[in-house]
Amino acid sequence: MKRRIGVYICHCGGNISDYVDVKKVREAVKDEEGVFLAKTTVFACSDSSQKEIIADIQENNLDGIVVASCSPKLHLHTFRSVAERAGLNPYEYVQVNIREQDSWAHSDNPEKATEKAIRLIRAGIKRAIEAKPLTPNEIPVINGVAVIGGGAAGMRAAIELSDTGLNVYLIEKEHFLGGRIPQWGELFETNERGEVLIERLYKEIVKRNNIKIFTGAEVESFSGCVGNFELGVRIKPRFVKRDFNCKDYEKILKECPVEVEDEFNFGLTKRKAIYKSYEKAFPEIPAIDKENCTRCGICEKLCPESFDFNQKEEKLNLRVGAVILTTGFSPYEPKEGEFGYGKFNSVLTLQQFRRLMELSNGELSYNSKKIKNIAFIYCVGSRQKDGENKYCSRYCCTAAIHTSLLLKEKYNDIKSYHLFRDIRTYGKQEILYRDSCKNGDIYLKFDESNPPIVEKNGVDVSVKIKDILTDGEEIEIIPDLVVLVTGMIPRENGGLEKIFKVPVGRDKFFSEIHPKLRPVETVINGVYIAGTGQGPKNLTETILSSLSSVAKAYSLLSSGTLKLEPIVAIIDEEKCEWCGNCDEVCVYDAIEKKSENGKEVAVINEALCKGCGSCVPVCESRAIEIKGYTNKEILGMIDGILKEVNR
Amino acid sequence: MFHLEYDVMVVGGGIAGQETALNLADMGFKVIIIEKEASIGGKMILLSKVFPTLDCASCIATPKMSETMRHENIEVLSYSEVMSIERIDKKFKVKILKKPKYVREDLCTGCQECEANCPVNVEDQFNFGLVGRRAAYIPFSTAIPKTAVIDIENCVLCGVCERVCPANAIDFTQEPETYTLKVKAVVLATGFNLFPARKKPQYGFGKFPNVMDAMEMDRLLSPTRPYNAVVRPLDGKIPENIAYVLCTGSRDITAGNPICSQICCMYSIKQAQLLMGALPLADITIYYIDIRAFGKGFEEFYQQAKDMGVQFVKGKVAKIEEIKETGNLIVRYEDIEGSGGVKEAEHDLVVLSVGMLSNPEAAGMFKFETLELDEFNYVKQVDPLLNPAKTNLKGVFAAGTATGPKDIPDSILSAGAASAEVAAYIRSIK
Amino acid sequence: MANIYEKDEMTERIEETYSPKILVFSTNSISDPGIDLAGLLKMHYPPSAYTISVPCSSGINPDWIIYALEKGFDGIFIAADGSDCPYREDCSELTAKIVLKAQEKAKEKGIDPSRIKMAAVCSVCAESFVNHMKKFSETLIKLKNNKE
Repeated sequence: MKRRIGVYICHCGGNISDYVDVKKVREAVKDEEGVFLAKTTVFACSDSSQKEIIADIQENNLDGIVVASCSPKLHLHTFRSVAERAGLNPYEYVQVNIREQDSWAHSDNPEKATEKAIRLIRAGIKRAIEAKPLTPNEIPVINGVAVIGGGAAGMRAAIELSDTGLNVYLIEKEHFLGGRIPQWGELFETNERGEVLIERLYKEIVKRNNIKIFTGAEVESFSGCVGNFELGVRIKPRFVKRDFNCKDYEKILKECPVEVEDEFNFGLTKRKAIYKSYEKAFPEIPAIDKENCTRCGICEKLCPESFDFNQKEEKLNLRVGAVILTTGFSPYEPKEGEFGYGKFNSVLTLQQFRRLMELSNGELSYNSKKIKNIAFIYCVGSRQKDGENKYCSRYCCTAAIHTSLLLKEKYNDIKSYHLFRDIRTYGKQEILYRDSCKNGDIYLKFDESNPPIVEKNGVDVSVKIKDILTDGEEIEIIPDLVVLVTGMIPRENGGLEKIFKVPVGRDKFFSEIHPKLRPVETVINGVYIAGTGQGPKNLTETILSSLSSVAKAYSLLSSGTLKLEPIVAIIDEEKCEWCGNCDEVCVYDAIEKKSENGKEVAVINEALCKGCGSCVPVCESRAIEIKGYTNKEILGMIDGILKEVNR
Repeated sequence: MFHLEYDVMVVGGGIAGQETALNLADMGFKVIIIEKEASIGGKMILLSKVFPTLDCASCIATPKMSETMRHENIEVLSYSEVMSIERIDKKFKVKILKKPKYVREDLCTGCQECEANCPVNVEDQFNFGLVGRRAAYIPFSTAIPKTAVIDIENCVLCGVCERVCPANAIDFTQEPETYTLKVKAVVLATGFNLFPARKKPQYGFGKFPNVMDAMEMDRLLSPTRPYNAVVRPLDGKIPENIAYVLCTGSRDITAGNPICSQICCMYSIKQAQLLMGALPLADITIYYIDIRAFGKGFEEFYQQAKDMGVQFVKGKVAKIEEIKETGNLIVRYEDIEGSGGVKEAEHDLVVLSVGMLSNPEAAGMFKFETLELDEFNYVKQVDPLLNPAKTNLKGVFAAGTATGPKDIPDSILSAGAASAEVAAYIRSIK
Repeated sequence: MANIYEKDEMTERIEETYSPKILVFSTNSISDPGIDLAGLLKMHYPPSAYTISVPCSSGINPDWIIYALEKGFDGIFIAADGSDCPYREDCSELTAKIVLKAQEKAKEKGIDPSRIKMAAVCSVCAESFVNHMKKFSETLIKLKNNKE
């Protein structure tokens, strides 16, 4: 049967036509076998062009469409839907990339770029000739979302998911929820306190009976496909019973003989083996830190009803339709000696300093020395020229300035020196910077190639800076405390990127598909990212992304069913001799052995098959193909490229 | 044509409004978008490329616009304005004014015959006055809906368009129409206004031809650009030495806008990179106070511009003067990083990196209740930390730059947040 | 972008008349975006390199490779997923096996096996892709040169 294919060659404004002679391309492909019409268009993606293509398909009974424009990453779905609206099967559409992989890559050689476009389009036409209509599989989805990480982003997402009617599993690695926010004290921009905000979230969570909280829980396995995932979760024993009601808790705290560094206070204080991350931590019962507990039994003696040292590690399987990763950040830990950190007592990170402020009563002192002068050194662990962290951590300028405003408010007599590179109080945060300047805070600017030097000066520490704002003059400050304004790094998460197969960027944060088009989606369909695990953010921005991920997860699961990509393996049962190679190579358990007409053959479970094609080259009898990438299509494309081009 | 009841009304069809509408529509809600211009798209569709990925703005925005337009759960009313919003029980009664386009949208094919034959020439608002347009015109080449509109204020009523229109779509008898809708929730995605560069008279915008604002430059760099080249407005000469003046009308109490606009550093760096590509011989100097490259990939983008040879000079520009003979400009600035003091430099083109101002018009829409604005006239977020889309009015939410300066990625996230909050709200009132 | 290697005179002379046709097998989610990025950054590589994108490099059929070489391609370059593969961790090993298989088949047919090459190209590896293309093109020119 003679085919009736429509070919559209896009100018993309001038992005293509400035380098590729689109008229010549049209001439060269319009008489190809199977082509019914070939047109050039200024913007193939524009609404009017889409309408024109639909009209062409309907008026001329076209049975295949090729659009040569940009990368299929941008517009494959756009034009598949054009085909669909015109009554074609979306898979009878072929996208040819003549922009990223032609006009732009070969903008130095228009003649060759034009030839390449012709060859690529001919390949596309061949593919369109061989393409078969494919129908997506519709599968039911599970009404449930796993939120991994119980900080502010995860807690907020849980509430919103619950309100849209989805069941939520909130999985937190630590024994307590809240993440980093309770460590912070007053938050920019409302001055609400971190632990109050977490309390607000927690109270909302416990009101909702479709949210299940797992603390001390880590994901160790992940399988299945979008809409039907299975998570293996390991839960550490807490050794404290749920109905903990021990009147002697204070006494236990005193008598527990184990003392370890308190990570909540970044090592400024010690805690016991039985602990709460902070006094009003949630859930409101303490936990026993299994690694450090010596099993001395003192606590159990005092409150036998409240403890259970026979608790074992639990494992459970959760079935969910989608996953949101909200694994958060850790403050950058300066290297030994970096701006005197770890070397001099009076050098702290901003996060430690905020804990110090929280722990102080009445007056601010450190190592029993009253604090009067503070030097804040900015961009520690961010914007590194030689180090790994090239990125800006976004929240730290505002955080440091907000801190110095709080200092002024609480202690009035403290003088703050800010040693910065650029002050990045973007948007309304600028007001804080203005207020800080009004307060008399002193700002000194240094260049990345000439960072401040922190060194010993008698009993004190001195900070020397070549201040750009006063013509590079060297200024020496003798502060009582040096505060390193450290940035964000992704929080250690036990290798979740490997478990979920979600890529991370050069900055080691989770990678979104596209910062504008799909900012909370990952390459794994149904797995979303939100909060600071995706990149540095302040709390407001964290919540924006958290709620955005809810919007996406809810869109995915709201209808109860899901259409799956029909690009899966297909087996020619006549050829199949069941050698088992395909079954062995498949990591998705998508292949089963079946007896058919007296012989054993392989069959594909389409709900599990991901269409990777690993089974294709290992098949001894050449019985497997991937739909959309069949031999006929690939070989046809090769022929299309190789056909001679007249100059 | 369209129904009179919807779940959600989104006011504004820019990128934030579209994203909100698409999210809600994908969840199964019925949405109506009210857009005051003749096309949806807002400001983003007019841009060249966008930072930090350098995707062309049209390539991202056009598919979204066309998806918005054809989504079965979304209705778009363009060239329409919200006259009033009145709360009745748990719903809102909304009055909409649809301005006459004098073109029947159901018949117009966007062939542009009327435009080609219209004798009137006026300033093109979508090209920020860089070029002219006709009185019968299509807003811009990627407009959606791509139908013509007649600008009746400038129309001379010659009737040529009516005669040449092959689809018989011109209809001078159209009158303004009003509709009353019922909706359960309102999302304000009313966007921002550009800072008018004329409000900084010391920079000479509007007086010296070779001083332009950054939006004009973005138009010159965009694929749908008016001249297909980057040229000086005065003489069409290819510029060789271009200056950017950051913080024009931002962080500036004297200009009435003390806050930072959040986008100007980055779009200036983007334009500088694009200019380096378009005009490899040109020198580009960016006068800045602080470079605020704070988002994901932004700092790397800034460093890349430095490596490409863009000059960054820390200095506040005090005044710009023109050299009469050449049309070149003397930029007088306070040199902070060098030897200090006031310095002068000559450039043949100056781009003013203008910031964002709030668009408070949403406040005027509500009947019998008051929408709270913040001290900068943006829509006030009553719980910015946990419910960022919430306003002081129950059932009324805000997305995008309606609540404060934002770049495109942040606008999209805020639209996502607004849609989740709206979805939960509508379920709660059922 | 500076040339990372020097061309000898002979190669340069041949290149004027002969540019080897390279078939690149890329992958939809990893190496194809990397190749796209090269274009986005306006990095140049020989325009006689053509890409066919498949879901995963472990699914490339050696038969396709042989077919392409027999029909007129000078070289086959597999832009493999490497460790970024969204489908499987052992993608590189499987892809390497495919290349070996194809190279053996090529040998049987009297085709120089070095005309088949593989390297991992990640989704941001634009520069490395461009260098691979330039280098591979050189190699293929030299191969042809030696033969004649």
